[in-house]
Amino acid sequence: MTATAPAIRARPAPTAAQARRRRLLVRVGLHLLLALGAVTMIVPFVWMLLTSVKSPAELASFPPTFWPDEWVWSNYSGAMQAAPFATYFRNSLIIATGHTLITLLFGSLAGYALARIPFRGRELLFLGFIAMLMIPTYTKIVPQFLIVRFMPLSGGNDLFGQGGSGWLNTWWALLIPGGLSPFAIFLFRQFYLSLPRELEEAARIDGLGELRIWAQIYTPLIKPAVATVALLTFQESWNNFLWPLLVTTRDELRVIQVGLAVFQQQENTAWHHLMAGTTLATVPMVLLFLLAQRYFIQGFTQAGIK
Amino acid sequence: MKIHRHRGRVGLLAAAAALSLVLTACGNGDTDGNQDDGDVSGELTMLTPIYEGTEGNRLLEEEILPAFYEEYPEVTVSVDYQTYGTLNEKLTTAVAGGLIPDVMMMGVGWVEAFAANGVLAELDSLGVTAESLAGDYTPQIVAGGTVDGSLYALPIMLDTRFGCARMDLLAEAGYEQPPASWEELRDYAVALTERDGSGTLQRAGFDMLSMDLRQMYEVFLFSAGGSLFNEGATEPTFNSAEGVAALEFITGLMNQDQVEDIGFSNTDADVHPLLNGRAAMAVCHNNLWIQLQEAAPELADQIQPFLINGTQPGMFFGGTLATVSASSENQQAALALAQFLAGPEPSLAANEQRGNVPALTELLDSGYVQGNPLVQFAMENLDVAQREGGPPQWLEIRGDFSPAIESALLEQKTPQQALDDLAEAARAAMGR
Repeated sequence: MTATAPAIRARPAPTAAQARRRRLLVRVGLHLLLALGAVTMIVPFVWMLLTSVKSPAELASFPPTFWPDEWVWSNYSGAMQAAPFATYFRNSLIIATGHTLITLLFGSLAGYALARIPFRGRELLFLGFIAMLMIPTYTKIVPQFLIVRFMPLSGGNDLFGQGGSGWLNTWWALLIPGGLSPFAIFLFRQFYLSLPRELEEAARIDGLGELRIWAQIYTPLIKPAVATVALLTFQESWNNFLWPLLVTTRDELRVIQVGLAVFQQQENTAWHHLMAGTTLATVPMVLLFLLAQRYFIQGFTQAGIK
Repeated sequence: MKIHRHRGRVGLLAAAAALSLVLTACGNGDTDGNQDDGDVSGELTMLTPIYEGTEGNRLLEEEILPAFYEEYPEVTVSVDYQTYGTLNEKLTTAVAGGLIPDVMMMGVGWVEAFAANGVLAELDSLGVTAESLAGDYTPQIVAGGTVDGSLYALPIMLDTRFGCARMDLLAEAGYEQPPASWEELRDYAVALTERDGSGTLQRAGFDMLSMDLRQMYEVFLFSAGGSLFNEGATEPTFNSAEGVAALEFITGLMNQDQVEDIGFSNTDADVHPLLNGRAAMAVCHNNLWIQLQEAAPELADQIQPFLINGTQPGMFFGGTLATVSASSENQQAALALAQFLAGPEPSLAANEQRGNVPALTELLDSGYVQGNPLVQFAMENLDVAQREGGPPQWLEIRGDFSPAIESALLEQKTPQQALDDLAEAARAAMGR
């Protein structure tokens, strides 16, 4: 008796047309999924835009309307008149730009040093920065406030920080404490680490010092990191509300988020004005993103940030 | 039209300033004359969560302060505008940094904490006593600025919470008056609740979720004859039989009678559900009138306020009070400013700007109060209104209230358990 093994039948190779159809289906499915994600992301933004041109009466109606029955553009002028937004806008711009420049300069220098210059205690220092990432912002507010308040030889203070108000009510208080974050340093370090050592060695052979290696060799290669850190810093600074409110007492030094808070009273929110003001407040961020989106996306991809 | 009224107000404020000066001088004739404007001078700083926005700033800086300066030309005031959302942080950092504003506005229930820490000046020693305010305010309002028998704060404006009903919807169901008792409230709410064929709530018979849960509960607690703390504010009493009955009534409305569903509304709702017909009755704030004028003026005749009656009428009030720093170098000037701001015309203007309830009894007859039915109702019933607060730790304790009420509404805990646990947390805070 002979046993015959079952014949193994090879799967017929898909034809080119079938493969093309499958690729098309996968692509369509993927795009549908991404489109769904994009719509989910953009609906709140569109809702904000549409709410900003609805009348209070329309906002009160139920069920709510999607498209405004009547486009009330005067909500924008009404919002602008409710607070000195021009001053607030200018201040936010100065502070956000200042923070971004300080972060880019000192953050990249620190990141470079931690990544490329061997020195004793480097790892410990880096661990210190990592540890700082774990400290919640709110717990730092009072100590930071006290440092600013008792800043020696400023605002009428003597050498021991007594007698005056330190940096309170000055641009220093607005610009310096939030000027540099451990996250920016961490991000820069990771990017500098990813660059080949050969570049650095070649530069040294050519007689370049550390500053020139940082400025002319390595930093131009991490433009995505620069764009990412710049955008994140600008955004965080632009949205800052509590700190500017704590260290200033004058309207001339207050920021755009303070202006938006005017529309939210304890028991009553003027949604039409709030959404108009918020729309205006998002304009710089949207513009900045549009200008730097290519680098921004690259930066996020390389750094693995989600 | 509005501009003309404001211009006219400047004159009134100046007159009020003069009157205030005369009254103050008369009132303090036996306290070494320290309110004589000749002695009142200095640069003052003031921290305020009211007078916000362009309109509020303009009111304060172009009308109220100029009128004050007319009477006290040697005083200058620089103002730090805050919101209630950041006021605690601002005060805390100011105290920590030793730069306490001369005049501080704060909420009812806040005074105890800052008085206990020695931040606030005892006004009795400056010539203003609780007794001297007795004729101008109801006792409960004066008590809001008093700690252990000493006066620390002068009331400027009140926020009140009470019941509101849509009379057109009540009429459709055959009711001609708002409910007069808890039982009627339940019956009305059940009858007015509407669901569609699938059971989805279309209209809440009684909305409890558009109001902060703590404040909503307090209205019922007070109407049940309960209180937050005992007389000396040494022990929580909100978990007493009255407090539990109040929470049982609320959870019964929500879970057994199903007059509203969890998630149907919230404190950040675009518009109050009474205004778009999504609720027939609710616990509401006097500020609802401002929203109504903007969003649904046609309902002006249909919204009717009512007191929630359990074993007694229940109404809650919070508010804004003016205090003077204990470390102020210009205490007489600071007191003069606080008194001026709490005076009739300046406080009326501030209340009108925010749609709030004046604390001064005499302002009941003012055009603003008479033209705002909710504010008028609140003022007419201030004698039954009760406030929150008590122990110096209130600002810490109050944050635990809403989660506790929520846990009972969600039936995670019985009302008794929820309030007992809350009382335990309050005791722990008070013991720290």
